[in-house]
Order: sequence, then structure tokens, then C-alpha cells
Amino acid sequence: MKAEEIKVAVMVMEGTNNEVATSDAFSMLGATPEIVHINQFQKKDIPRDMKRKIGDYQCLIFPGGFSGGDYVRAGAIWAARMKATLKDDIVKFVREGYPVGGVCNGFQVLVELGLLPGSPAVVPDYPSAVLRQNKSSHFECRHVLLRHVSRGNCAWTNNVGHDAVVEMPIAHGEGNFTLPLDCEDATLKALVANDQIVFRYVDEGGDFSEVYPWNPNGSIYNIAGVCNGEGNVFGMMPHPERVLSKYLLQRWHHMKGAGEEGPGVAVFSSVLDHIKRRF
Amino acid sequence: MRDLFKRKSKEFELFEVDILNASDGELASVSADMGIGLSPDEMKQARDYFSGLGRNPRDIELQALGQAWSEHCSYKSSKKILKKYVFGIDAPQNISVIKEDAGVVEFDKDYAYVVGYESHNHPSAVEPAGGAGTGVGGILRDIVCMGAQPIGVLDPLFFAPLDYPGKIPRGTKHPKFLYSGVIAGIRDYGNQVGIPNVGGMVYFDDSYLTNCLVNVGCLGFMRKDELIHSYAGGAGDLYVLLGGKTGRDGIHGVTFASEELSEDSETASRSAVQVAQPILKEPLIHVCLLANRKGLLTGMKDLGGGGLSCVVGEMAQPVGLGAHIDLDKVPLKEEGMAPWEIWVSESQERMMATVARENLSKVLDLCNVWDVEASVVGEVIKSKNLVIDYDGMNIFDMNIDFLVDAPLYTRPVEMPVIDESEPPLSRPPDHNKVLLSLLSSLNIASKEDIVRVYDHEIMAATVIKPLVGKLNRTTHGDAVVLKPLSTSYRGLAVSCDVNPAMVGANPYWGSASAMDESCRNLAAVGARAHSFADCLNFGNPEKPDRLGVFHECVRGLGYVARGLSVPFVSGNVSFYNEGAGGGILPTPAIFAIGIVDDIRNTCTAELKRAGNKLYVIGETCQEMGGSEYYRLSGVSGGVVPRVDVDVLKRSCEAVVSSIEKGFVWACHDVSSGGMGVCLSEMIIGSSGLGARVDVSSLGELRSDFKLFSESNTRWIAEVSDAYLFEKIMKRNDAAFYAIGEVTDNGRLVICDNGETIVDLDSKKICKKWDDGIRKIVG
Repeated sequence: MKAEEIKVAVMVMEGTNNEVATSDAFSMLGATPEIVHINQFQKKDIPRDMKRKIGDYQCLIFPGGFSGGDYVRAGAIWAARMKATLKDDIVKFVREGYPVGGVCNGFQVLVELGLLPGSPAVVPDYPSAVLRQNKSSHFECRHVLLRHVSRGNCAWTNNVGHDAVVEMPIAHGEGNFTLPLDCEDATLKALVANDQIVFRYVDEGGDFSEVYPWNPNGSIYNIAGVCNGEGNVFGMMPHPERVLSKYLLQRWHHMKGAGEEGPGVAVFSSVLDHIKRRF
Repeated sequence: MRDLFKRKSKEFELFEVDILNASDGELASVSADMGIGLSPDEMKQARDYFSGLGRNPRDIELQALGQAWSEHCSYKSSKKILKKYVFGIDAPQNISVIKEDAGVVEFDKDYAYVVGYESHNHPSAVEPAGGAGTGVGGILRDIVCMGAQPIGVLDPLFFAPLDYPGKIPRGTKHPKFLYSGVIAGIRDYGNQVGIPNVGGMVYFDDSYLTNCLVNVGCLGFMRKDELIHSYAGGAGDLYVLLGGKTGRDGIHGVTFASEELSEDSETASRSAVQVAQPILKEPLIHVCLLANRKGLLTGMKDLGGGGLSCVVGEMAQPVGLGAHIDLDKVPLKEEGMAPWEIWVSESQERMMATVARENLSKVLDLCNVWDVEASVVGEVIKSKNLVIDYDGMNIFDMNIDFLVDAPLYTRPVEMPVIDESEPPLSRPPDHNKVLLSLLSSLNIASKEDIVRVYDHEIMAATVIKPLVGKLNRTTHGDAVVLKPLSTSYRGLAVSCDVNPAMVGANPYWGSASAMDESCRNLAAVGARAHSFADCLNFGNPEKPDRLGVFHECVRGLGYVARGLSVPFVSGNVSFYNEGAGGGILPTPAIFAIGIVDDIRNTCTAELKRAGNKLYVIGETCQEMGGSEYYRLSGVSGGVVPRVDVDVLKRSCEAVVSSIEKGFVWACHDVSSGGMGVCLSEMIIGSSGLGARVDVSSLGELRSDFKLFSESNTRWIAEVSDAYLFEKIMKRNDAAFYAIGEVTDNGRLVICDNGETIVDLDSKKICKKWDDGIRKIVG
């Protein structure tokens, strides 16, 4: 496929609020993103030209925000609404290998749906991880450093150099990636073995760090982003769409020369390259 | 007293009020009983109007008058003064200023930015989280109703000290409770709605004990051709009410805002505070902007103070039309509401649009996709009347001009007496100690714990953030810079400033100083001042001394703005901030917007490289009035800093052009705590750098005055090329002094006349600054 043929659904519902920057990321790379409200997939009494199907797209991305106000658990309301009417479509989409991504609240939705860290059922009855409240117990907005640790499995990060350290902002209250306590070690080992861990928080020396605020939320194993076993479903708490330009980094005034591209671009170009190769 | 209220309907609560035969005393008690806040004179005007009609008013009609004629809605005490000094500054960038909910100003050939500013003081004093949250909600609607996407919220906040040692009066909430509640309200609302919080300020003074101030500014952005006005297109247009349902929350919000708080406000006025529902607001913004972009609306206005009663009339009257409303069509949160309650309720998350009939179904479809409730509640009519039907009965019929055009007042003023005599204060034995206590004082200490709970980067445009410097070791920036277009390097800089202590000591020069500080904050990042908004928080205007202070402040603002030819484009007046303990410090909070020609040529406050030269730009004088140093030393008096607009203009130009040319690597404005604090803050965000400075060249001042004076129009700049920098300074006739250089040893060393007066390690500086507020609130 060519870039311009790739239709990306930037999924929204009430409370989603990073959709414009997310859409911009895809359009600057030549793809065809469309911001689509969940009602456009579900609601019967809307004009025909506004109705959409999951199968109309080659890529789905769930942006950040506070979907449904996040008044239950972050992402839970959106996940429940997806499950209620779109479960079969999503399962088919993922099984066919099309990429699904989630950033921040979008990551929370994918975890609540059970798409991440992944299961044979694709959308299982119960989630197998959770993004708990930050250890600091409050929302925070700051820039963090991430090491890209994927060994090649993740379709969304192949253009981010292996072992590269990148700077991105976080802005969340619930980003503390947590695995079931009764099988925490085993699950973690399996995630590592299956190359499902994509980004981990590091300190300014580049070392994995559990020290706040280098690890801003207390995530186990300093996990900032994971993918499913097949590598086509990916979620992360930091916001790549907010650093498409270097001028959005914390200390760009100290970086003389160099290009203008920000570290977030590689995430979006990776998935587009993947689709171009695969479909 | 005889009963003046006669029930008119069995089915619902509607009363006729017998004012035609009422005595003056009875008129006053009618106003009080109904809670409409009309003065005896205004009640008489109402009586004359209705006797001309040959009938008594219904309760809903008097209620509507109370809303429209409230200080909050009509600016009846302030308008003449504002007109004289700050309105009407002509500038080529003005597109639509002062007239509507927000000011619209040119950004470039195709785009405009939009400025709004509001206060939510009284609601926040009663219910801090709800009051502050709905304050954010309200200002967002003001921006959206011009057709603009909100792109940044700024919130100047004023509280009593968090460790207030005295007794808290009955009915007042502890400043620590108010502080955390207000911040939580702004955080929860702003983050959920998805508009970045890009600045503000927090200031502490005893006078805010019973009446904290919560001001909210907002910046919006739009294509010029998407500008929509707050009035209807023509007769026959339909009134479409969008968003939330109407309930009993926020009844009499504007009259509550137009009277003094009392110890009973908690119980008596709780219902005047609205309930925030950000999750309804977010889709409402989408729908309004989408519908406008598709050209489906003829006018749009937000439901704020006064609710339907203000919005319906204000959308028809400016175009010489009237309105016919079916009150039954308004979706309600609860049953049994009286018609007047529906009419004046200030329930949140509602917008009114006027729509031509042929576009109605398209608007409703859009609303359906986004799950936004939309109801046709009436239509615009040719006759200049406002008519309301309810349950098949006509309950309201008034001339729209009489209703909307509130009386304007020239109230008596008593000019303030200024005493600027110098207090006795000897030179401190240890400047290190003074500097450290300044750094940890509430007004200067780090505000990081607040900034970090607000999302300041959503929308991916914040190219200079509120906290600048090293990752996880940041310092306060001067102004936030947004880059609203991905296709252009042009930027918008924003800053909020005022030092109320200076304004209290000398209203005219204190207000001028607030303007000066705004301009220098913009210049410090490389931006030129382009427009201003003001949120004027004062006491009861019916007290001549309070209005005198207001008059002098407005005159001071006008002096600077006119001198710079930079317009005031929007603003807000909040009177009646008195509370149980007397008046607040007069607080004109300035919101300044600057233009950056190219965001690549900006700079930030933290020091960048050892060996670079340090300069102070501007003259340092013994102007200690209202300074943080005097406050900390427990003395008052002293000369409040003056402003010379020509010097300000030239110096800003010099600073901005040297930043643009790239010789200035770091720049920070000198304000609270003077040069001592300024240098410390530049060190705080750096990677372990320090500064060695000699202030002998600044003249014959005492060392403590040199270090801590808050004289206006000054910056400290880190300069990479001294020759070229000095050349630009001289060309612009700006005063400058070479004072030292950046070092790599992480120490701040300041000498004066051969004596080392400050020698501090940056770790100690950081610790004091970081812990100032944290040690009290945790």
C-alpha cells in the first residue's frame, strides 16, 4: 500500500482530547487519518454519510484524554462501549494483523479491553493488567526519558533505533502499569521473553530507574509501553504526538543545529511503514 | 407588610408583584425578598416602566431585570471610567475588541487569536473546587462563542498565606483548604476538557482571607473567516439551546457576585455556585466549533451570568430585534422549577446558537453524533420585545431595550492618599540569609507542584513551557510561548502579572508596574506586547474610597497601554470583594499577549554556558514600596516603582532584538525579590551552573537595595557576544550594566564595592526555593 491509501481511524468519544495532534502526526507523513466518533460505528439514527465500519480502515489509534470523564477506572467506560457493539469487528481486525495503537488514555482503553498485553481471545472477558493510579497519587505533566527496548517485534516502533533513549511528555494520573500480583513474576518474564516490552523509563544517565520522577508513576519494571505477542497492538503512556517537532522538547534551546524532527515522528512512521510492507 | 405577591397560576409557580401601588420602603423589601439586588432607584425605574404598560410585573420579569442590571452583567459602576482610560486604544491588529464576550485580534494574514478573562471569586470562596472549575468552564465558552478553539488557560490566584497564623473568621474557609480546592478544581476541569493550562500566578496576602480571588484567562485561536458574533442573523432565526440541562444550581450567581460576601454566604449562597460537568463541555465545544465551521450558525453566545435571561436578550437587542421563547422547551435537570428559576439559572455547559431554519436538521444531526442535547427554545422576532410563553400562558413581555440597557452610574469617588515616606530599616548584617528567606517566601517560592498537576502541553503547541530548564530541575519561566500553527514559526507569548502590594501602596504606579512587568515577561522570551486584558478585582464601588482606588488603577493601566499603543481587547471587573475583614488589596491582574515572529529565535530563563557574560538591563533605584523585601522585613512605605513608557518601549525592543539575533542565551525579568532572586532563579534551572557578579557599577545605592529593589523595566541577560549585545542596547538607547559572568561551579557569588555580600551554593538555593510552599502544604 502507498501512504496516502492508508486510512487511519483516530477514535474519539466524549472526553477524548488529543485527537488533533494524533491526526496531524499521520497526515504529516502522507497517510489519510479521519477523526471518528464511536457513535459513527454504533448509532443507528445518524445520517448515512456519517456512518463508519471498522473495516473501512487499515489502522486504529485511540488518543489520550478522559473518555467518559474516566469516572470509573481510566479507560473502562470507553472499553465497555467498544466491547458492547464492536467486539467482533475488533477481534477480526486484530487477527488480520492490522495495527491498533493507544496513547495515554488510549493505552488504558486497550488494557481495559484486554487487547494488551494480549490474549488468545484478543478481547478476553477480563483484562490481565491495569494502569493504576500513579504512586504520587496525583496527575502530573512532565517530560520523561524512555529507552526503546523492543527487539523488533513491535510494528509501531521499528523506526525508533534499538536501545535509543527518547524524550517525551507524560500527562496522566493513572499510568502505573501493574500485572496480576499472584503471577507477577511469571507474566513479566513472559512479556520480556516474547519481546512485548517496548519502552522503559530511564534517568538522565540512561539507566533504568525506579526513582521518582524518572519513573513518574511507579510502573513495574519501569514499563512505559507494551505490545501484544504479535506486535500489532501497542500502547504507551507518554505522548509521541506531542513531540513531532524538536521545538516541543523540554530543552531544545540547548540543542543548536540538528534537524527539526521530534522523537515522536518515528512511532507514526514505523506503523505506516509496517502497513505499507504488509498490506 | 401587606402581601405584594399574587399567585397567577395553579399549575406552576408564577407570581404577580404589586409594585405599582408599593411605597418606596416596600419596593426595597421586594428587591431584598426576591434576591434581585436592585437599588431603590432602580426599583422606581421598574415601577415607572410597568405603570407605563398599565400592569404589574410578573416575578420572572423583575428577576430578569435584576440579572440584566446587576453590576456583574452591566458594568454600571465601572463603564464610564473604563471608557475614559482603557477602552478605544486604536491598533491595526484589533478585529473585534471589548464589545463581545472575548476580544479578537489579528495573528497573521489568515488567523486571529481570541482573548477572554473572567473572575470567579465569590463562588470559589464558598465552594473552591466547584467555583474554580466552573470559572474555567465559563471562560472556555466565552472563547468558543466567537468561533475559536481555546488553546490555553491561565489562572491568577490570590489567597491568604497558607500558614495564616490568626483566627479564621466564622463562615470563612482556611486558606490551605481554598488553595488546594481551587487548584483541584482547575486541574480536574482543564485536564478533562483538554485545554492546556499555560500560566498564571499565585499571590498571598492577609487581605484575601475572607475573599480569595480566582481569575481565569483564556486564549483562543481561529481562522479569521470563522469569526461568529454573539448576535442573531435576522428575524425568523431559531434559538437552539445546546449542551447541559438547566437546574437549580447557579441561581442568582450574578447578584451573588455583585454584593459583599458575609459570614452567612456559605449557607445563603451555596446554590449560586454552579456544578461543573467537564465531560459535557468537551463534546459541546466540538459541536459548536464544527457547526460554525460548516456555516450552520448565524450567532453564538455562551450561557454564563444570568443564564437564559441575559443571553436571549443580548443576542437580539444589538441587531434591533426581539425574541419569542417557549420556556417549556428548555430541558430541565429537575421537576417543579418555577419559570423564573429556569430563566435565570446559570447551570453550566450550555451554549445558545441562532440558526436559520433551513440549517436546523444539520445542526441537530451533528449534535446527535456527539451526544449533545439540542433544543429549539424560541425564535428571533421583528418586534423589539422579549416575549415568553410557558404552559400555554404568556408570562413575560418587555421592551428589550429597557431590559438590556442598564443604567450607568457616576458614583462618588474619594482619591487615595499616598504615603511613600521611607521606613527606618538598617542594612541587614547577612544578605545570604535575606536572599534565602526571600526564595522560600510564599510569593517567590517554586510553584512547580501546581504547574505539574495541570496539563500544560496538550495540543502540542507549548514550545516554551511554564517551567523551563533541565529535565526534573526546572525554574519559573517568564512567559509561555505557543506555536499555534504547524505550518508557521509565528508564536504567541502569554503572561499574567500584578504585584498587589505595590497597587495597594500606590494604585496608579502599582497598576502601571503590573503593565511593565507583563511587557518585560513577554520581552524576556523574545516577544513583543500585542494586546492586553485585565481582570480588575476591587472592593465595593458604592464606597467612594474603593472606587477612588479603582479609578487610579484604571488610569495607571491606560497610561502604559496608550503610551505603548497596545490595546486592551477584553477584560472583566469584579467588585464587592470585601469580606468580613475589610477590603482586599486592589488587584488588577494583567493578562498580556505577545507575538513572537519566529519561535526559533526565543530564549528561556535558565543559564546556559559557563563563561557567558551577565548584564543587567535598566536602572536600579531605591524603589522599595510594595517590594517582597520590605514585606519580609515587616516594614511598609517606600516609593513604589515608576514606569517611563518610552524607556519601557525602547528597552523591550532592545531585549527582543538581541534575543532574535541570538546573542542572548538566557533572559529573566527582575521582579519580586529583585536581582538576588532573579539570578537565583536563573541558576536553579541550569545544569549546575553558577554566577559571579559585581554590582558596584550600579551606583551609590545600599547593597540591600541594589539586590532586592523591584524597579521596573529591568532584566538580567546571559550574553554570548558582548560587543554585538552592547551595540544593540546603545542603538535602542537602553541602559545596561555588565555585572559578571556565568560560572561552572554552581555558586551564586555577589560582590559590592569590594565586599562579598552573597555566597551561596545552588543546592541550598534550590532547596529553599523548592520547599517554600511544600513545607506547608506537603
